[in-house]
Amino acid sequence: MGSAATPIGALAIASAGIAALLLIHHLVVRPKLQATTRLKLLLGLAVFPFIAAVSTTASGMARTTEATFCGSCHVMETHVSDLQDPNSISLASRHGRNEHVGPHACYTCHADYSMLGYPLTKITGMMHVYHYYFSGYRKMPLEEFHKEVRIAKPYPNANCRTCHSGKLASFMNVREHIAVLDELEANKVSCASAGCHGVAHRFSKRPEEL
Amino acid sequence: MVRRFLRLLARWPSERALLVACALGLIALGIMVAGIVLGTPLPVVASMSVAQGIGVLACLLFGLSIAADVASKRPEQ
Repeated sequence: MGSAATPIGALAIASAGIAALLLIHHLVVRPKLQATTRLKLLLGLAVFPFIAAVSTTASGMARTTEATFCGSCHVMETHVSDLQDPNSISLASRHGRNEHVGPHACYTCHADYSMLGYPLTKITGMMHVYHYYFSGYRKMPLEEFHKEVRIAKPYPNANCRTCHSGKLASFMNVREHIAVLDELEANKVSCASAGCHGVAHRFSKRPEEL
Repeated sequence: MVRRFLRLLARWPSERALLVACALGLIALGIMVAGIVLGTPLPVVASMSVAQGIGVLACLLFGLSIAADVASKRPEQ
Protein backbone atom coordinates (compact mmCIF):
# COMPACT_ATOMS: atom_id res chain seq x y z
CA MET A 1 0.00 0.00 0.00
CA GLY A 2 1.14 3.52 -0.74
CA SER A 3 4.53 4.74 -1.83
CA ALA A 4 6.18 5.25 1.57
CA ALA A 5 8.82 2.64 0.75
CA THR A 6 10.06 4.46 -2.37
CA PRO A 7 12.95 6.96 -1.97
CA ILE A 8 10.77 9.90 -3.00
CA GLY A 9 8.00 8.80 -0.64
CA ALA A 10 10.50 8.45 2.21
CA LEU A 11 11.85 11.94 1.45
CA ALA A 12 8.32 13.36 1.60
CA ILE A 13 7.60 11.66 4.92
CA ALA A 14 10.96 12.69 6.40
CA SER A 15 10.59 16.36 5.44
CA ALA A 16 6.94 16.39 6.58
CA GLY A 17 8.06 14.84 9.89
CA ILE A 18 10.78 17.46 10.47
CA ALA A 19 8.36 20.29 9.58
CA ALA A 20 5.70 18.81 11.89
CA LEU A 21 8.17 18.63 14.81
CA LEU A 22 9.11 22.30 14.32
CA LEU A 23 5.44 23.34 14.17
CA ILE A 24 4.42 21.26 17.20
CA HIS A 25 7.36 22.76 19.13
CA HIS A 26 6.10 26.26 18.29
CA LEU A 27 2.50 25.40 19.23
CA VAL A 28 3.54 23.87 22.56
CA VAL A 29 6.35 26.23 23.66
CA ARG A 30 4.99 29.44 22.04
CA PRO A 31 8.35 31.23 22.05
CA LYS A 32 8.80 34.98 21.50
CA LEU A 33 9.16 36.05 17.89
CA GLN A 34 12.95 36.36 17.66
CA ALA A 35 15.32 35.67 14.79
CA THR A 36 15.76 32.00 15.77
CA THR A 37 11.97 31.55 16.05
CA ARG A 38 11.50 33.11 12.62
CA LEU A 39 14.16 30.81 11.18
CA LYS A 40 12.53 27.73 12.75
CA LEU A 41 9.13 28.80 11.41
CA LEU A 42 10.62 29.47 7.98
CA LEU A 43 11.94 25.90 7.99
CA GLY A 44 8.69 24.48 9.40
CA LEU A 45 6.22 26.44 7.28
CA ALA A 46 8.09 26.99 4.03
CA VAL A 47 11.32 25.04 3.39
CA PHE A 48 10.46 21.53 4.60
CA PRO A 49 6.78 21.71 3.54
CA PHE A 50 7.97 22.78 0.06
CA ILE A 51 10.24 19.71 -0.13
CA ALA A 52 7.35 17.58 1.19
CA ALA A 53 4.91 19.06 -1.37
CA VAL A 54 7.24 18.52 -4.34
CA SER A 55 8.10 14.95 -3.34
CA THR A 56 4.44 14.19 -2.50
CA THR A 57 3.45 15.35 -5.99
CA ALA A 58 6.20 13.29 -7.63
CA SER A 59 5.34 10.26 -5.52
CA GLY A 60 1.58 10.74 -6.08
CA MET A 61 1.99 11.03 -9.85
CA ALA A 62 4.09 7.84 -9.87
CA ARG A 63 1.55 6.08 -7.63
CA THR A 64 -1.29 6.89 -10.05
CA THR A 65 0.46 4.85 -12.76
CA GLU A 66 0.42 1.62 -10.69
CA ALA A 67 -2.15 -1.09 -11.38
CA THR A 68 -2.71 -1.56 -7.63
CA PHE A 69 -3.79 2.10 -7.47
CA CYS A 70 -6.48 1.48 -10.11
CA GLY A 71 -7.43 -1.75 -8.31
CA SER A 72 -8.01 0.09 -5.03
CA CYS A 73 -11.49 1.04 -6.29
CA HIS A 74 -13.70 -2.07 -5.94
CA VAL A 75 -15.06 -1.80 -9.50
CA MET A 76 -11.52 -2.38 -10.84
CA GLU A 77 -10.63 -5.28 -8.53
CA THR A 78 -11.53 -7.96 -11.09
CA HIS A 79 -9.61 -6.13 -13.83
CA VAL A 80 -6.46 -6.10 -11.71
CA SER A 81 -6.87 -9.64 -10.37
CA ASP A 82 -7.32 -10.89 -13.97
CA LEU A 83 -4.21 -8.93 -14.92
CA GLN A 84 -2.23 -10.67 -12.19
CA ASP A 85 -3.67 -14.15 -12.83
CA PRO A 86 -0.89 -16.29 -14.36
CA ASN A 87 -3.49 -18.67 -15.83
CA SER A 88 -5.63 -16.02 -17.54
CA ILE A 89 -5.46 -15.87 -21.32
CA SER A 90 -7.13 -12.46 -21.63
CA LEU A 91 -5.36 -9.86 -23.76
CA ALA A 92 -4.84 -7.66 -20.69
CA SER A 93 -3.33 -10.48 -18.65
CA ARG A 94 -0.98 -11.52 -21.45
CA HIS A 95 0.31 -7.95 -21.52
CA GLY A 96 0.41 -7.77 -17.72
CA ARG A 97 2.83 -10.70 -17.64
CA ASN A 98 5.35 -8.63 -19.59
CA GLU A 99 7.77 -7.29 -16.99
CA HIS A 100 8.03 -3.90 -18.76
CA VAL A 101 4.27 -3.48 -18.55
CA GLY A 102 3.24 -5.54 -15.48
CA PRO A 103 3.08 -3.21 -12.44
CA HIS A 104 1.93 -0.28 -14.61
CA ALA A 105 -0.26 -2.25 -17.02
CA CYS A 106 -3.41 -0.08 -16.72
CA TYR A 107 -1.45 3.12 -17.32
CA THR A 108 0.73 1.67 -20.09
CA CYS A 109 -2.27 0.60 -22.17
CA HIS A 110 -4.73 3.39 -21.30
CA ALA A 111 -2.44 6.46 -21.23
CA ASP A 112 -2.73 9.08 -23.93
CA TYR A 113 0.54 9.17 -25.89
CA SER A 114 -0.11 12.42 -27.75
CA MET A 115 1.90 15.61 -27.13
CA LEU A 116 -0.36 16.68 -24.25
CA GLY A 117 -0.96 13.07 -23.30
CA TYR A 118 0.31 13.19 -19.73
CA PRO A 119 -2.00 15.97 -18.46
CA LEU A 120 -4.89 14.61 -20.57
CA THR A 121 -4.42 11.18 -18.99
CA LYS A 122 -4.39 12.75 -15.52
CA ILE A 123 -7.58 14.73 -16.30
CA THR A 124 -9.26 11.50 -17.45
CA GLY A 125 -8.10 9.84 -14.24
CA MET A 126 -9.58 12.68 -12.20
CA MET A 127 -12.89 12.14 -14.03
CA HIS A 128 -12.74 8.47 -12.97
CA VAL A 129 -12.23 9.53 -9.34
CA TYR A 130 -15.14 11.99 -9.68
CA HIS A 131 -17.44 9.33 -11.15
CA TYR A 132 -16.42 6.82 -8.49
CA TYR A 133 -17.08 9.08 -5.52
CA PHE A 134 -19.86 11.34 -6.82
CA SER A 135 -21.68 9.53 -9.66
CA GLY A 136 -22.65 6.39 -7.82
CA TYR A 137 -19.97 3.94 -9.04
CA ARG A 138 -18.76 3.55 -5.47
CA LYS A 139 -22.03 1.95 -4.42
CA MET A 140 -22.56 0.04 -7.66
CA PRO A 141 -22.35 -3.77 -7.37
CA LEU A 142 -19.56 -5.26 -9.46
CA GLU A 143 -21.94 -7.29 -11.66
CA GLU A 144 -23.94 -4.17 -12.51
CA PHE A 145 -20.75 -2.24 -13.22
CA HIS A 146 -19.56 -4.91 -15.65
CA LYS A 147 -22.94 -4.94 -17.35
CA GLU A 148 -23.51 -1.17 -17.58
CA VAL A 149 -20.20 0.71 -17.69
CA ARG A 150 -18.07 0.86 -20.82
CA ILE A 151 -14.87 2.66 -21.82
CA ALA A 152 -15.63 6.37 -22.44
CA LYS A 153 -14.09 6.48 -25.94
CA PRO A 154 -13.25 3.63 -28.34
CA TYR A 155 -9.84 2.23 -27.42
CA PRO A 156 -7.26 3.89 -29.72
CA ASN A 157 -5.25 1.49 -31.90
CA ALA A 158 -2.42 4.04 -31.72
CA ASN A 159 -1.86 2.90 -28.14
CA CYS A 160 -1.23 -0.67 -29.33
CA ARG A 161 1.15 0.65 -31.97
CA THR A 162 3.14 2.56 -29.35
CA CYS A 163 4.82 -0.82 -28.70
CA HIS A 164 3.70 -2.99 -31.66
CA SER A 165 4.99 -1.30 -34.79
CA GLY A 166 2.68 -1.29 -37.79
CA LYS A 167 5.65 -0.89 -40.15
CA LEU A 168 7.50 -4.14 -39.54
CA ALA A 169 7.27 -7.25 -41.70
CA SER A 170 5.77 -9.19 -38.80
CA PHE A 171 2.76 -6.85 -39.04
CA MET A 172 2.65 -6.18 -42.78
CA ASN A 173 2.94 -9.87 -43.71
CA VAL A 174 -0.34 -10.68 -41.96
CA ARG A 175 -3.12 -10.64 -44.57
CA GLU A 176 -5.78 -9.72 -42.04
CA HIS A 177 -3.84 -6.58 -41.14
CA ILE A 178 -3.53 -5.52 -44.81
CA ALA A 179 -7.25 -6.13 -45.40
CA VAL A 180 -8.29 -3.65 -42.72
CA LEU A 181 -5.31 -1.29 -42.77
CA ASP A 182 -7.40 1.83 -43.48
CA GLU A 183 -9.99 0.89 -40.87
CA LEU A 184 -7.20 0.31 -38.34
CA GLU A 185 -5.76 3.74 -39.13
CA ALA A 186 -9.18 5.35 -38.77
CA ASN A 187 -9.86 3.40 -35.55
CA LYS A 188 -12.99 1.88 -37.13
CA VAL A 189 -11.71 -1.62 -36.37
CA SER A 190 -10.13 -2.21 -32.99
CA CYS A 191 -7.07 -4.41 -32.51
CA ALA A 192 -8.72 -5.50 -29.25
CA SER A 193 -11.96 -6.78 -30.74
CA ALA A 194 -13.62 -10.13 -31.28
CA GLY A 195 -12.19 -11.75 -34.44
CA CYS A 196 -8.89 -9.86 -34.11
CA HIS A 197 -6.87 -10.13 -30.90
CA GLY A 198 -9.93 -10.44 -28.66
CA VAL A 199 -11.27 -8.02 -26.09
CA ALA A 200 -8.86 -7.08 -23.34
CA HIS A 201 -11.12 -7.71 -20.34
CA ARG A 202 -13.39 -10.63 -21.33
CA PHE A 203 -15.06 -11.07 -17.94
CA SER A 204 -16.52 -7.54 -18.12
CA LYS A 205 -18.32 -8.06 -21.42
CA ARG A 206 -21.80 -9.30 -22.26
CA PRO A 207 -21.87 -12.51 -24.40
CA GLU A 208 -22.91 -10.57 -27.52
CA GLU A 209 -19.82 -8.38 -27.18
CA LEU A 210 -17.39 -11.32 -27.31
CA MET B 1 -0.78 52.43 -0.91
CA VAL B 2 2.34 51.14 0.85
CA ARG B 3 1.56 53.22 3.93
CA ARG B 4 -1.97 51.83 4.03
CA PHE B 5 -0.58 48.30 3.75
CA LEU B 6 1.89 49.03 6.57
CA ARG B 7 -0.93 50.43 8.71
CA LEU B 8 -2.89 47.27 8.07
CA LEU B 9 0.15 45.20 8.98
CA ALA B 10 0.52 47.12 12.24
CA ARG B 11 -2.89 45.80 13.31
CA TRP B 12 -2.15 42.25 12.14
CA PRO B 13 -2.34 39.77 15.06
CA SER B 14 1.04 38.16 14.36
CA GLU B 15 1.23 35.79 17.33
CA ARG B 16 -2.25 34.39 16.76
CA ALA B 17 -1.80 34.22 12.98
CA LEU B 18 1.41 32.23 13.48
CA LEU B 19 -0.41 29.74 15.71
CA VAL B 20 -3.11 29.36 13.04
CA ALA B 21 -0.38 28.96 10.39
CA CYS B 22 1.26 26.20 12.45
CA ALA B 23 -2.07 24.40 12.87
CA LEU B 24 -2.86 24.71 9.14
CA GLY B 25 0.67 23.53 8.30
CA LEU B 26 0.20 20.44 10.47
CA ILE B 27 -3.12 19.65 8.76
CA ALA B 28 -1.50 20.04 5.32
CA LEU B 29 1.45 17.84 6.27
CA GLY B 30 -0.93 15.23 7.70
CA ILE B 31 -2.89 15.05 4.44
CA MET B 32 0.35 14.76 2.43
CA VAL B 33 1.60 11.89 4.60
CA ALA B 34 -1.82 10.18 4.41
CA GLY B 35 -1.65 10.33 0.60
CA ILE B 36 1.74 8.65 0.59
CA VAL B 37 1.03 6.03 3.26
CA LEU B 38 -2.50 5.04 2.18
CA GLY B 39 -1.94 5.33 -1.57
CA THR B 40 -5.66 5.19 -2.43
CA PRO B 41 -7.25 7.64 -4.89
CA LEU B 42 -8.90 10.18 -2.58
CA PRO B 43 -5.95 10.67 -0.18
CA VAL B 44 -3.49 10.81 -3.12
CA VAL B 45 -5.59 13.43 -4.94
CA ALA B 46 -6.08 15.39 -1.69
CA SER B 47 -2.34 15.29 -0.97
CA MET B 48 -1.64 16.88 -4.36
CA SER B 49 -4.37 19.53 -4.19
CA VAL B 50 -6.11 20.32 -0.88
CA ALA B 51 -2.96 19.79 1.20
CA GLN B 52 -0.92 22.09 -1.00
CA GLY B 53 -3.63 24.77 -0.93
CA ILE B 54 -3.71 24.68 2.88
CA GLY B 55 0.11 24.68 2.94
CA VAL B 56 0.26 27.78 0.74
CA LEU B 57 -2.28 29.50 3.02
CA ALA B 58 -0.16 28.66 6.08
CA CYS B 59 2.94 29.98 4.31
CA LEU B 60 1.15 33.23 3.39
CA LEU B 61 0.02 33.69 6.99
CA PHE B 62 3.63 33.19 8.09
CA GLY B 63 4.89 35.72 5.53
CA LEU B 64 2.30 38.32 6.57
CA SER B 65 3.02 37.78 10.25
CA ILE B 66 6.76 38.25 9.78
CA ALA B 67 6.13 41.34 7.64
CA ALA B 68 3.78 42.69 10.33
CA ASP B 69 6.34 42.02 13.03
CA VAL B 70 9.06 43.81 11.08
CA ALA B 71 6.72 46.73 10.33
CA SER B 72 5.68 47.08 13.98
CA LYS B 73 9.32 47.22 15.08
CA ARG B 74 10.13 50.00 12.57
CA PRO B 75 7.14 52.35 12.84
CA GLU B 76 9.12 55.36 11.66
CA GLN B 77 9.57 53.75 8.22
